[in-house]
Amino acid sequence: MEQKKHWQSFGELNQSEAYNKEVKDEFNEDLPFVAEEGNSFLDAKAPRRDFLKYLGFSTAAAAAAASCEMPIKKAIPFANKPEDVVPGVAKYYATTYVQDGDAVSILAKVRDGRPIKIEGNDLSPITKGGTSARVQAAVLDLYDTARLRFPTIDGKEVTFEAADKAIAANITGSVVILTSTVVSPSTKAVINQLLAKYPGSKHVTYDAVSYSAMLLANEATNGVRAIPSYRFDNAKAIVSLGADFLGTWISPVEFARQYAAGKKIDEKNPEMSKHIHFESVASLTGSNADEKYLHRPSETGAIAAALLSAVNGQAITGITDAKLKSGIEKAAKALTAHKGAALVVAGSNDVNIQIIVNAINNAIGAAGTTINWAEIDYTRAGIDAEFAKLVDEMNAGAVGTVLIHGANPVYSWHDAEKVKAGLKKVKTSVSFAAKVDETADLCKFVLPDNHFLESWGDAEIKSGHFSFIQPTISPLFKTRQWQDSLLKLAGSNEDYLAYLKNFWSAKLGGVAGWDKALQDGVVTTSTGVVSGGNFNSAAVAGAVAAINTAKKSGKIELVLYQKVGIGAGQGASNPWLQELPDPVTRATWDNYVIVSPAMAKTLLDIDLNNGGQADAYEVNPPKKVVKVTVDGKTIELPALIIPGTDANTIGIAVGYGRSEKLGKAAAGVGKNAFALACTNGSTVSYTCADVTVVVTGETYPVALTQTHSRYDTAQGNRTEVMKELTLAEYKHKPSEIRDERAKELRGQISGGEKLNNEEVLEKFEAKGTIYPVYDRPGIKWGMNVDLNTCNGCGACVVACNAENNVSVVGKPEVLRGHEMHWLRIDRYYSGDMENPNVVFQPLMCQHCDNAPCENVCPVAATNHSSEGLNQMTYNRCIGTRYCANNCPYKVRRFNWADYTGADSFGDNQRGEVNDVVLDMNDDLTRMVLNPDVTVRSRGVIEKCSFCVQRLQEGKLQAKKDSRPLADSDVKVACQQACPTNAITFGNANSKESAIHIVRKETPNRQFYVLEQLHVMPGVSYLAKVRNSEEVAHHEGGSDKAAHETKEHA
Amino acid sequence: MHLKYESQLREPLVYGDKTYKQVTEDIVRPIEAKPTKLWYIGFYIAVALLMFGVYSVYREVTYGIGQWNLNKTVGWGWDITNFVWWVGIGHAGTLISAILLLFRQGWRTGVNRAAEAMTIFAVMCAGQFPIFHMGRVWMAFFVLPYPNTRGPLWVNFNSPLLWDVFAISTYFTVSLLFWYSGLIPDFATVRDRAFTKLRKKLYGVASFGWTGSTKHWQRHESLSLVLAGLSTPLVLSVHTIVSFDFATSVIPGWHTTIFPPYFVAGAIFSGFAMVQTLMIIVRKVFGMEDYVTIGHIEAMNKVIVLTGSIVGIAYLTELFMGWYSQNKYEGYTFWYSRAYLFSPYGWSYWGMMACNVLSPQIFWFRKMRRNIFVTFFMSIIVNIGMWFERFVIIVTSLYRDYLPSSWSVYYSPTIWEIGFYAGTFGLFFTCFFLFAKYFPVIAIAEIKYVLKTTGEGYKNQMAGIEEQPLEDFVHQHAH
Repeated sequence: MEQKKHWQSFGELNQSEAYNKEVKDEFNEDLPFVAEEGNSFLDAKAPRRDFLKYLGFSTAAAAAAASCEMPIKKAIPFANKPEDVVPGVAKYYATTYVQDGDAVSILAKVRDGRPIKIEGNDLSPITKGGTSARVQAAVLDLYDTARLRFPTIDGKEVTFEAADKAIAANITGSVVILTSTVVSPSTKAVINQLLAKYPGSKHVTYDAVSYSAMLLANEATNGVRAIPSYRFDNAKAIVSLGADFLGTWISPVEFARQYAAGKKIDEKNPEMSKHIHFESVASLTGSNADEKYLHRPSETGAIAAALLSAVNGQAITGITDAKLKSGIEKAAKALTAHKGAALVVAGSNDVNIQIIVNAINNAIGAAGTTINWAEIDYTRAGIDAEFAKLVDEMNAGAVGTVLIHGANPVYSWHDAEKVKAGLKKVKTSVSFAAKVDETADLCKFVLPDNHFLESWGDAEIKSGHFSFIQPTISPLFKTRQWQDSLLKLAGSNEDYLAYLKNFWSAKLGGVAGWDKALQDGVVTTSTGVVSGGNFNSAAVAGAVAAINTAKKSGKIELVLYQKVGIGAGQGASNPWLQELPDPVTRATWDNYVIVSPAMAKTLLDIDLNNGGQADAYEVNPPKKVVKVTVDGKTIELPALIIPGTDANTIGIAVGYGRSEKLGKAAAGVGKNAFALACTNGSTVSYTCADVTVVVTGETYPVALTQTHSRYDTAQGNRTEVMKELTLAEYKHKPSEIRDERAKELRGQISGGEKLNNEEVLEKFEAKGTIYPVYDRPGIKWGMNVDLNTCNGCGACVVACNAENNVSVVGKPEVLRGHEMHWLRIDRYYSGDMENPNVVFQPLMCQHCDNAPCENVCPVAATNHSSEGLNQMTYNRCIGTRYCANNCPYKVRRFNWADYTGADSFGDNQRGEVNDVVLDMNDDLTRMVLNPDVTVRSRGVIEKCSFCVQRLQEGKLQAKKDSRPLADSDVKVACQQACPTNAITFGNANSKESAIHIVRKETPNRQFYVLEQLHVMPGVSYLAKVRNSEEVAHHEGGSDKAAHETKEHA
Repeated sequence: MHLKYESQLREPLVYGDKTYKQVTEDIVRPIEAKPTKLWYIGFYIAVALLMFGVYSVYREVTYGIGQWNLNKTVGWGWDITNFVWWVGIGHAGTLISAILLLFRQGWRTGVNRAAEAMTIFAVMCAGQFPIFHMGRVWMAFFVLPYPNTRGPLWVNFNSPLLWDVFAISTYFTVSLLFWYSGLIPDFATVRDRAFTKLRKKLYGVASFGWTGSTKHWQRHESLSLVLAGLSTPLVLSVHTIVSFDFATSVIPGWHTTIFPPYFVAGAIFSGFAMVQTLMIIVRKVFGMEDYVTIGHIEAMNKVIVLTGSIVGIAYLTELFMGWYSQNKYEGYTFWYSRAYLFSPYGWSYWGMMACNVLSPQIFWFRKMRRNIFVTFFMSIIVNIGMWFERFVIIVTSLYRDYLPSSWSVYYSPTIWEIGFYAGTFGLFFTCFFLFAKYFPVIAIAEIKYVLKTTGEGYKNQMAGIEEQPLEDFVHQHAH
């Protein structure tokens, strides 16, 4: 019997071509992430990261689309799991943070296709895993809602093809490439390729904050227009003339690490480097100095010249102030005593001063020991005069085409109007800015660059130190690397990735070498040999003569400075950085005029030694507004009183007053102070003499996160809060701190007066309470912070924000004391109010074993884990805030409003939270959230968890490997970010752990904050030791006299 | 031989020669009459305040505690200040009813009903604050120890806030029962006089079928005694436990062992002041000067000067201990944050001192004690002072505690914080106006009880006896 034929369609019946094709292809769509054979995944049409990006983005979008009153958020599982991606397990890619000249080797933590956190790269010999606040915050810039999403011509969206065509058609004659300092060797090669194509073209480098004077001075004395490497770790004596090398000067992450090496104390053999600082306005570095001297900025040259005389054994002339003179003598003594292990640095942008500093360094044998000419620092290369010339050329109409990347002179050049006028005369102006900054706003073409986390690239931070950039996510928007744009303009068909790969494969021994370099992130060819260079003293005499004839100012002087977070404005659009309290002033979201307490008395009529006036100043956020006039240019800003500032000098931070187009965080915040800078003909000067300051009669609220700064009160010196002493005292009596602790604790033990000091410390836990004390076997998490190496830079604060999804609340909320930081850095003053000792104390939840917060919660939402963690259960919390009241450290933070959009009440943010907060809740910005950490809703308390998610991950890892937990398994975010390794963390019960060893080996400096309360904190501190001869540590005394001598009613 | 005995010291508890009928007429009249214009005005103002309070709370619940000016350092401000203040006010009622009942103080009868009502309403107002000061009030039921499906998740019995939950709910329940059991015979009286069916029905239900039988009276008396016995320790315990919220903490200025007696004395102080405020108005408005006599007022003023002085001693003890302990943290709180007039909150401490300690001393003078205007004025001053006291304890301790780095900016309330407080005034007076209209504001039965032994009638009766020859009297009374 003939087999019966069944058919479902005419196509099947007729076996038509279309039908056959359909049958064949039915299940045969290309998997989007599978690469062609032989190629890497990244070469596939739609590489793996694309897939992950779409996945991540669509999840977020789906979640967003579903967010009506009660948001239902869906997580879509992988239908086809990419081979090497395990959902929920982070991957780390080595790459490099590059912003303007700054370059730091980093690892980007990528979860499910999106980078969420930046960590330092331990393999980098420069930073050794350290980061800064700005590096930590850079991941948020990737998800900035203000980023340009497509190329534009005259502000209108176009395609890259159209833009390329239009630009090519508009280039006639030569081009000028204007960039910030380029650290990438391959980019320099690309630039050269373009310059070669258009004869007569040139590349001008412009740094927002100029280091021209150093470059020129080094050219004059060493024959090289470059900045050498500094080795603070080799220096036993450091003298800084206003160089903020821990905060903003050249390479602070590197210098902080080196500097900390000299500040680490071995208890058995206590030695420290000596750092003497001369400055006019309180800075982060000055705050860390062992000794600090204040002077007018116009005196810097005279001080440098005097120091040169003194190290050469000549008498000091030209310095009348006795204090200052003795400071110079002390500095000279320290420098000459440590010849060959001494270093002088200066922050001034005056060539003569830098030449004199070079001469001093030569005299004290710094070259070849603390200054290394074998490793040139490539992060700063801009010469002011070259840019000034370009501005003139543009105004003369001599420039037809200008291509701008990184540089933003319309904002940061002191004569911005001239730049604007010049730019208008340029026919073809192209900006590669990622956001419409002040300069891009005036350019005809804007071809947005990728964020560095979306880019390929390389960086030669110093000669012989290479760091590589690889993308961690596909470009989120229609953006293109600017090198690709340059290659297009240069007429090359190659794309930048291929170019880069060829460039490096050739150098690194093929593709394997390139792959390895990408994996490690760094390649070091430098041999580590320290070279001294050749010093030529010919220019010194002229420099000294020029300094001696410089005019002296009799009036108030001004210093423009950079803040650690904001820099020259790079951080202004980043909400994490805006909300990061400035380490020195503890202010957020504004720039202001810094005045000294002495000036406050005469100018503002506020006497900080008068209890009532000091209180009124502290407790009321509105500060008096002053009008500063320099050379006919004026600026009105509120005045903050910052001790440690010269009595005749005021300071204003640059980097504020940015364009509204840079985003909600930048808009309307502060005022641009760059305009107040001036030029001395060859270099830009960030100090001005003859400034007039008048009080306007208005007030303006400044959002400070700390209002009181002395732990010495009229009722007693709160030494339980902070312990500091000098090296001399410490050497004289190493047990000073221990004895003091015993004295504080003795009264808490019944019969304590019969015990000796060691017995008191030993028995305090058991005898200081009426309750029984239990053993704590197993893991006991503990932390130690070395106050000697902590310099207060704030990297940990931002790292904590990023790791733990800490909300940004915006200025109005900070003003009301609603900031959410889990980790803060308290800054305390002691000693003379005009020039105090400063100490920084990072304070996070102390994870007390006998926690006062735990027993007061009516619903047991906060409780103690068996591993010594003070835990917070958000969904049990009903928000009574009793725990926060009862926390002696005040580290608990309450969600006062719906900062996260995680609330079950819909539509309750508008009008109640700041625009910046709303922006942080944008679906794009929310991609930065760490999926391992719950986003807290309104009405609950939150606080430091010791990064419990990391602890769990580390424990699981050890468990999987069937081995005991090791220190390397667990690094908390603040510890990882710290450039100086001031934070030690681990299992205090393990004999091998670093925390155990630190606590065992440094008994003499160890203390617990408010130990006498018997809350048994889990965080120990090592007392601050200052290498000065002064005896700073005593009860009350002069501290008291200087401070609140308040009468009681 | 004379049988006349008239106390030279004790005044009559009820003025005038009242009969039982008259007493009933006087007290029930306002319930049966149409309310006056004044009542309407007062009632509407109270309701308006209540509505503003409801809106303030609505904002706080919807937008968060950020509607208030509390901050990272000052976690409690007006909210808990108002809570403690209202709880304190809520003390006098039960004290008058229970303790004075046990001590057989006849003068309590004139004021106990209204004082108890005040207690109940004040505790209702107080309860709003700990509930709505929660960040997530919709989860407030977590504080109740109920069997749940969350595993062994229980409340934290170590927390003073939890003790508050029990203390206040118990106090409220017992006070309510005590008050209501006293109302039953009076409701029955109103029921019996009712002229509409609805009234009869409503007051009938409210009086639980009271017939006035001896058995009923016997049980009523027993119940009153039992409840008085229960309430007496509660009067002391509630504010003791409220004081534990502070006393058991570690914050300088809170961590103080004298808090329990000091808080209880303060509570009685403010409670009596509030009773004075209300009773002076009520006796005037309802014409009940004969029942709430100047003697009552004087008695309460004596309590005020006594408790005010106890509180004053407590303040001085704190200051002394702040110095004597040589604890620099306490020293700072007591001597600088509080007692130093020119410190940011110095004004509140000295406001407290002036209102609570200095001004009540005028009641050492009999003339002042018996002056209605002075009493009324002082009753308000005392309550302002007691509000300051709680504000001082809470805010000046918190805003500058252990770490100088965390010292707070100046805390002052937002309009919504004030609105919440105003709202509880609205609630209180709304309740009180309704009470005054629909409930007998003076315990009719109890007045009748004391009428036999006090007042003009008693005097006349005694005078009659006095004029009688002894033989007649013996003859009359010997059976």
